[in-house]
This record gives sequence, C-alpha cells and structure tokens, in this order.
Amino acid sequence: MAKIEILYPEICNLYGNMYNIKYLQQCTDEIEVFETALTDKPKFLTENIDMVYIAPMTEKSQELVIEKLKPYVQEIKNQIEENKIFFAIGNALEIFGDYIENEDGTKIEGLGITNLYAKRDMMHRYNSLFLGTIEDIKIVGFKSQFSMSFGDNSKNYLFKTEKGDGINKQTKFEGVRINNFIGTYVLGPILILNPQFCKYILNLLNVGIDKLAFEDEVTKCYRIRLKEFENPKTIYD
Amino acid sequence: MIRFYLAFYVAKIVKAILRCLHRNATQVPGRVALSICPNFLEYIAKPNTIITVTGTNGKTTVSNLILEILEANGKNVISNKFGSNINSGIASCLLSGASFFNKAKNEIAVLEMDERSSLKILPYLKPTYLVCINLFRDSIRRNAHADFIFNIINSALSKDTKLILNADDLISSNLGKENSKVYFGINKLETDLKESINIINDARICPKCGTKLKYNYVRYHHIGNAYCPGCGYKSPDADYKITNIDYEKNIITVEHEKQIYNYNMISDSIFNIYNMLAVITLLQEIGIEPEQLQENFKNHKIVESRFSKKNINGINVIKHLSKGQNPIACSCVFDYIKKEKGSKEIILLLYDYFDAKESSENMTWLYDCDFEFLNTKSIEKIVIGGPRCQDFYLRLLIAGVNKEKLVCAQKPEDTAEYLSLNNKNDIYVLYDVYTETIANDVCKKIENRINNEVSIEENDQAV
Repeated sequence: MAKIEILYPEICNLYGNMYNIKYLQQCTDEIEVFETALTDKPKFLTENIDMVYIAPMTEKSQELVIEKLKPYVQEIKNQIEENKIFFAIGNALEIFGDYIENEDGTKIEGLGITNLYAKRDMMHRYNSLFLGTIEDIKIVGFKSQFSMSFGDNSKNYLFKTEKGDGINKQTKFEGVRINNFIGTYVLGPILILNPQFCKYILNLLNVGIDKLAFEDEVTKCYRIRLKEFENPKTIYD
Repeated sequence: MIRFYLAFYVAKIVKAILRCLHRNATQVPGRVALSICPNFLEYIAKPNTIITVTGTNGKTTVSNLILEILEANGKNVISNKFGSNINSGIASCLLSGASFFNKAKNEIAVLEMDERSSLKILPYLKPTYLVCINLFRDSIRRNAHADFIFNIINSALSKDTKLILNADDLISSNLGKENSKVYFGINKLETDLKESINIINDARICPKCGTKLKYNYVRYHHIGNAYCPGCGYKSPDADYKITNIDYEKNIITVEHEKQIYNYNMISDSIFNIYNMLAVITLLQEIGIEPEQLQENFKNHKIVESRFSKKNINGINVIKHLSKGQNPIACSCVFDYIKKEKGSKEIILLLYDYFDAKESSENMTWLYDCDFEFLNTKSIEKIVIGGPRCQDFYLRLLIAGVNKEKLVCAQKPEDTAEYLSLNNKNDIYVLYDVYTETIANDVCKKIENRINNEVSIEENDQAV
C-alpha cells in the first residue's frame, strides 16, 4: 500500500489538479491518501509517507504555505536525499525555490531547495500548450500562470521541451527533478492527460498495475491531443 | 483636454460612418477614443447615476433586468446591453449618450462590466453603485482564480461608490473595506448543506487570520453562511433577505427593514433567484418602490438567449446557457438539471469554438467542474458534441457515469440524431456562449425529429 499525503488541499487545489490523485485512486486500491490541513503538522515528518503532493494555489496562499513549511526545510531536504517522492504542480514548484519576486522588486523567501527563483507578473498571464519528453515518453499539457521560474535547471530538469517553453520563455528545460522531487508547471491534470507518465509515477510509488482506470479512453484522448500538439499549424499561445 | 476632444470627435465620426454602413458601432468607436485618449472614460460626459454590474456569473441577466425595469418605470437610461462589457464597449456606450457638446443625454447609465477589466474602467468611471453578484473561479486562461479578480476590483474601487454585495458570498462580500455597502442574501434553506459537496470551494479559510472557516450552512461552492472560530470574522448580515421561496406558487418573499414583499420569480434556479434579489436591492436603493417592483416582476422571464423551454408533442426541449471554461456556471446548471423532476437526456455543446479552430483547448476546467452531478439515475443519456467530445466522455466516466449512457458526436450538429426521444424525457441542450448558433440548429433538428417520430398520442400512451 502506497501512502500519498496531499498538503493543504483547502488552499492548494487550483485548475483541476486534485484529480491527479483522485485518478490514481481510481487506478488502484493500493493507494491510501491523507489530506493535511494548514492547521495540522504534515504527516511525512513523522510517518512513512511515499509521496507528498502539492497542487497550485493563489499567490497569497503561496506565502501561507512557505510560512507553514519553513520550520521543516532541513527535514524536507533530508527526505529528498533519501529519495522520498515530492510532487509539486504549477506554482507549488515555486514554494521550494530560493524566492518569489513581485513586480515591485519585493521578495518572498522560499524554502531554498531547488536553487530556482520565480518572478511574478500579475497583469500578464502566460498561457500556452506544452509538448515535451521524459525519457521516451512524450508529455502533453497546458500552462497557465502569472509567474515563471529562473535559474539553471539544465542538469536537473523534468521534461525536455519540444514545443512551448520551459520554466521560462528563454529555456527549453521544463520543471525540476532532484532525486524524486518532481516539480512542473505543466497542467492537465498531467496524470490524466499522460497515461504513460501516470504509469511512470505509479512505478516510482512501487505500485504495480495491469491497466490504468479507463486506460483505453485515456489513451485515446492522449493520442488525439498529441496529434494536435504535433501539428505545425497548432497555435501554442 | 485637447486630446480628449480630439478622441471624442474622431470617435463620433467613426461611429457615424459605421452607422451609415449599418454596423452596430458598439465597440470600435470606444476603441478608437481610448487609443487617442487613454483616460477617455474620465472626461466623457456621464449620467448623474451610474450603475455598474459585475461578478463572475449573472451580470448580463442582472444588467438586463435593471435596464428593463428602469425603462418600464419611465427612466431615461443608457446601457451597453448590445455592446461589449470591457472598457471600449463602455466608452462606446457613453459616447452614444453624450451630445455633440459632450453633455450627458440620459439620467442613468446601466453598465455591465467585465470584472477583469475593472482597473481600466472603475477609476475613471467612479460609478454611483457597483453591484457585484458573486466572485468565483472562471476561465483559467483569463481570470486565473477568484482572489486575483477580487484584488483587481478592490484596488480599482472609488471610495464614493456604494456597493451592492452578496452577503452569502464569502469572497465578494469583503470588497470595499471603506465603501458604503448594502448586502443581499437568502436565509437558510431546507436544501442547504453542512459541508460543500462541490469540487471547488474557494473560501475555506478565514480571509483575515487563515483559520479554517466553519459554515453554518453551504448552498453551493462557497455560497453560504460561515464564521471564523479564530478571530470572529463572519458572513455579513443581509439588509435585503429572502425569507421564503415558494417553488409551487413561484414566489419569493423579501424582507427589508421589517417590510415584507412577495415577488414573482423569473426562474426557479437558485442562481437566478440571487440575480433577481440583486436587482430588487439595487432598484429599491435608487428609489423604486417595492409595490412597483412587484408589478414589474409579474411579466419578466430570463431572456431567451440564456434559457428557453419549448414543449413539442409533449416533450420539453430546454436550451440552457452553460458557459464552457466556467466550472461554477456549469456545475450550477448540472445541479439544477439533476434536481429537476422526471427523466432527462442531455446534449453537451460546451467546447470552445475558437480554440478548436486554431489551437487545442485547455481542458483543465473539466476537473474543477462537478460532472459528478450528471451521474444520476434520472439522466438517461448524455450526448457530447464537438472536437473535444472524447475529453468530456472521459471526464464523465471518471465522474462515475455509466458508459452505456454516453455518446460522442465529433460533429456537434449530429448530436440530435442520438437522442432516444422516449419515455417523455425532458431534453436539455447545454451550450457555450460561442456555440449558441450550433445549439439553435441542434434544437431545430430535435424539433423536426420529434415532429416526425413522436406523435402526441404516443406520448399520452407512454404516460
């Protein structure tokens, strides 16, 4: 039985991303999910949790989450060293960076784990499609965000971008991977849009399954989308 | 001011030319004016009373109702009913209402305002009243999240604007800390819940101290009544409140300052009851007597472009706007259909027509939207039309809907062919703003099929 802890679902729940975990639950009974509220101490600090999941949130919520996790930075670093899976989606990735910079230059100190930093631009929302790869798996998804991350992720990116942008418009390296810490701006929900990547995550969790939930239908959607995304005529942003 | 007058007269000329060409001129003249004079809205002559209506859902319905009732009461009103609700549409509207010498020709302006555009409108317009019906998540690409939109409106507000706010909305009710406010709300209903059953509830923690809010009752999403056990923050008390909804007699009872009046409902859906209450509150605040409003509401229904119901040979065909990319609007419509009596078949035409043409639509919203409400016995078939039908199909499977009930039609115009048309099912055609024309064609095809295949006698036997 793999244990997944969802951090702060009452505020970290934007853009359909709670369904990454709901879908995993539909795929197998071998997953147990715990939801940890802002008022609670995270379970992964004291119990054996296999994956810590955190979904996108508002900018105000980013500050609350940083404040809540700050006392546990060293423990999080230790657990990443020990290959614990952390899965951060959208701007949840920025929580783990050095800082988040506002338009006026003020900075919110992050957890300092990824060596990246983020810049906000609240009046210019960035929307795009994304096509990339991890190993031999093609990844499709969407990006919709006010902020982008900067810094060198060329040696520890998650996806190599084929079309669209990486963590910012100047790079083709998307997301970050430090051992089993996985962070990406790609939305979908990514595990429903990408059946092979969903299996990849289930493998990381050591959960073996024959077939994903609705695998035929999920695969059909994936193929349709992949064909659209690979079409040179498709507009990305 | 030279720049303003240059913008003013150029825009007037552009408008005259467009009119000669039989164009509506509800957007371009304003765009031209704003390109010449960015603060055009500050200098353009305005009526003495300006009413702006905004919010995520319901602003068109509320604006139209306010306009129609004011006109029925003999007021000289200008509105952007036939134009756009962004700054250029509002500039075009006010340009139409200004004389050649920039004098306001009307006594009242009713302006529907896109909430995302508040920063470009409110600081210049400084409206007398701002009605904000609600704030929810909307299009991920444009509106991001409710907190973002809240901050935009809040930072653009003039302190002199009187706010008409929804007391039951834990987000928009916090607008305008320093503004004068009037709240409307609906007392606890039998159908209210203790916990939200929706996927989205964006007011789960106290906006003041971050403590988890306790809900006295939840109506839908974050609409309800709550308090913070940490700091004492709570939902505001409503100045105008619905104390009773009589669905059988189609009447709502509104209490204000111990005076009680009954009104005929324009629709029995909870979101339209809120819309109606917002209208009653605003209009009473500007001096329309409740007795007069009672008369006005006797003849009102939701405009046909948003909701229409036709009985063809005993089968109800209901066309209902259900904005795609807007998970709350769709969830509310799904919940409404689920709770309606009788068995149903549904056609979904909720894809983004424009994205489908050149790009690939961002479908993340499907997983913020309560498709689970469609997983109910009374819904016997769901036909999904359009280029994204497989995504909807998968979402419905994940929501638990039985495969046997689902049909995909890549060509939306084919959806009518898959309806069963039996057992006197009500048929719902749900469409997006951009698929209304297609929805109209589909409704015609349904009507033809019913006329050709179902006789009134057959249906009588089925009963």
